[in-house]
Amino acid sequence: MNRRSFLQVAAATPLLAASEKVPAYRVVSPYAPSKDPGMPGPYRGKVVRVHSEQCIDAGSEAVNAEVVRNMISRGLCELTGDARERDAWARFISKDDVVGIKVNCSGAPNIMSTPEVVGDIARNLVAIGVPASNIYIYERFWNQLRSVHYERFVPAEVHIQAAEANRGSVLGYDPDAYVEVSFFGEEDTRSNLVRLASEKLTKIINVPNMKEHQASGVTGCLKNIAYGSFSNMDRSHRWEKTNTRTFIGTLAAVEPVRSKTVLHVMDGLRGVWHAGPFSRDRRFRFYPKQMMFGTDPVAMDRLLIDVIDGKRKAEGAPSVWDRSEKLLRMEGEPDPQFNRFLREPGHIEYAAGLGLGVYDIGRIDLRTIEL
Amino acid sequence: MMLVVLAVALPGLYWDQGPETAAVLERAGIEQVFVPPARQQAWQGRPGIEVQPADLQQATKLAEPGVQFQMNRASATRSPWITANGWEILRSPAALFQYEAKGPAAELAAAEAFAYGARAVIATDEAGLEPLSLMLRFLRGLEQPELPPFADIGVIDDGSFETGELMTMLARGNLLFRIVDAPDPNLKLNVKLGTPEYPTEQAAEPHVLAAKVRSKLSDEKRSLRIYGSTIVVARVVGGAERLRLHLLNYAGAARPVNGIRVRVLGRYSRQKIAASGVDDPRLSDVRVSEDATEFTLPEMKVYAVVDLYR
Repeated sequence: MNRRSFLQVAAATPLLAASEKVPAYRVVSPYAPSKDPGMPGPYRGKVVRVHSEQCIDAGSEAVNAEVVRNMISRGLCELTGDARERDAWARFISKDDVVGIKVNCSGAPNIMSTPEVVGDIARNLVAIGVPASNIYIYERFWNQLRSVHYERFVPAEVHIQAAEANRGSVLGYDPDAYVEVSFFGEEDTRSNLVRLASEKLTKIINVPNMKEHQASGVTGCLKNIAYGSFSNMDRSHRWEKTNTRTFIGTLAAVEPVRSKTVLHVMDGLRGVWHAGPFSRDRRFRFYPKQMMFGTDPVAMDRLLIDVIDGKRKAEGAPSVWDRSEKLLRMEGEPDPQFNRFLREPGHIEYAAGLGLGVYDIGRIDLRTIEL
Repeated sequence: MMLVVLAVALPGLYWDQGPETAAVLERAGIEQVFVPPARQQAWQGRPGIEVQPADLQQATKLAEPGVQFQMNRASATRSPWITANGWEILRSPAALFQYEAKGPAAELAAAEAFAYGARAVIATDEAGLEPLSLMLRFLRGLEQPELPPFADIGVIDDGSFETGELMTMLARGNLLFRIVDAPDPNLKLNVKLGTPEYPTEQAAEPHVLAAKVRSKLSDEKRSLRIYGSTIVVARVVGGAERLRLHLLNYAGAARPVNGIRVRVLGRYSRQKIAASGVDDPRLSDVRVSEDATEFTLPEMKVYAVVDLYR
């Protein structure tokens, strides 16, 4: 890629947010967009959901790898319309690609991108000719990533790499690609892109979980590829206020993240319905036993809200849309009736305004497969 | 008793024990000590250690430099609390300063004193001798050019506690200032407490006042930005042709900095780095544009000096 320098101006501020204050983001990236950016990609507005009661045992949390393999195969083929699994994968990845699998380990080792899912993605990549040594499983924090032991599920040549081997280090980030903004007068106003993603990878497969998030409402495709790909993120929350509504989409739209992220495999074998993105309390874990596939992160996350809110409703917890201040509680053990922040599930609609996908539920083409 | 003037540019160890402890100093590599005048006679003629008297009765005591990480305490700024003395040195540049810094804090104290050009002695314990000795050796190896302070902000110092607090916060936030007698039109901003713009009552919350100063200056006009750490404080000297950045990690060697990104306004095409305790230090990802110079310092223990040349 030519490293010609230009300033990406975040000019596409969504109309919907025009009346609300948007922080003054300065997006700096030397990377030009590709002709056909990965997001929202060729299947804009299309989502395939595959459900199987057999994919995980809710008691033991044992994963049935064979069922997972079948779910991925059926999901990809339904998304692309191909009869053969390898043809479906070949639409996104070529043998010459250097592929990053962006996992989510913020809740590890209790919830994370399931190793059997990641293992099967790697298997499919190798099957279409990608050398295992050109596959990178990556996350921001090494202490979280290493706790999962993905190496037990993938060929030995696959790299498992974190941007921050030492927490807080800037060395794993690209000094030339960042979003600069001051939210609360913090001194460090830059969030830099993971260097691996900008300099080495040619394609990214995003593998989020299905989780409620105390700040952003839910954490799915957008949050995982945005907050999971940039440094210095926790500065966006202070007291009850978070800036996730506008920051998530802004980050996800930064090049080359937008161009390189070609596929989202949302892992909903397990889920978290409260106190996410962590899963320290098993009470708040649940088992949707499903996966979603698509290239449109907005459409997928829009559906995720309903999954999380449906579970919360069943548990008698307030909706993630309920932003009343009476629900705020900063201290103490997590209680589903309360939350630390004013949640911002509106980040998904905001991202739609940036052109990252389809938010309108009536325009989402959802295909459901029951195995 | 008369104050003995320290005729050295470098800080030094202040040691109030007798010559029977000389072996301890030698083991730590200490080659020069300042002792109470009453002990000078006893130390005289001791081979391998140069001894000078120092009367500290009129010396200004400085706090032990360092960082307090207050992880479990809510704070208005979320930043760890840095104990730094640079502003106090700038306020009394001719004074003699005395640190009491135990253990590894002694090397940070030496680096701080050097960075701010202070005449200073450092009293420490046995655990602090070797770190201090290594730092002094590092400082002795540095070129010591005469360079003027480099600042964006002028602070008209009325000598008050409140102005001192403001200067503390400015220094901690890497808002480059120098003390001026009257507003200096060559600076980007001048600050005087007690004026309508900066009422004294606002000084009750110095971090808010410092934030106001930062906002008035604007981040775009700041000559120096440090990204990736809130515990590295810079002292900058020089001018358009040559800048020297003294970078101090207030968490000390036990908590090294794994990379900071530095942005300096101005085009500096040549860079030179020296860093204490780091073998073969280098700058990486150096970017020189028309209006700014940026680089990454990949590793830093306690102290680094970056020289930038036009």
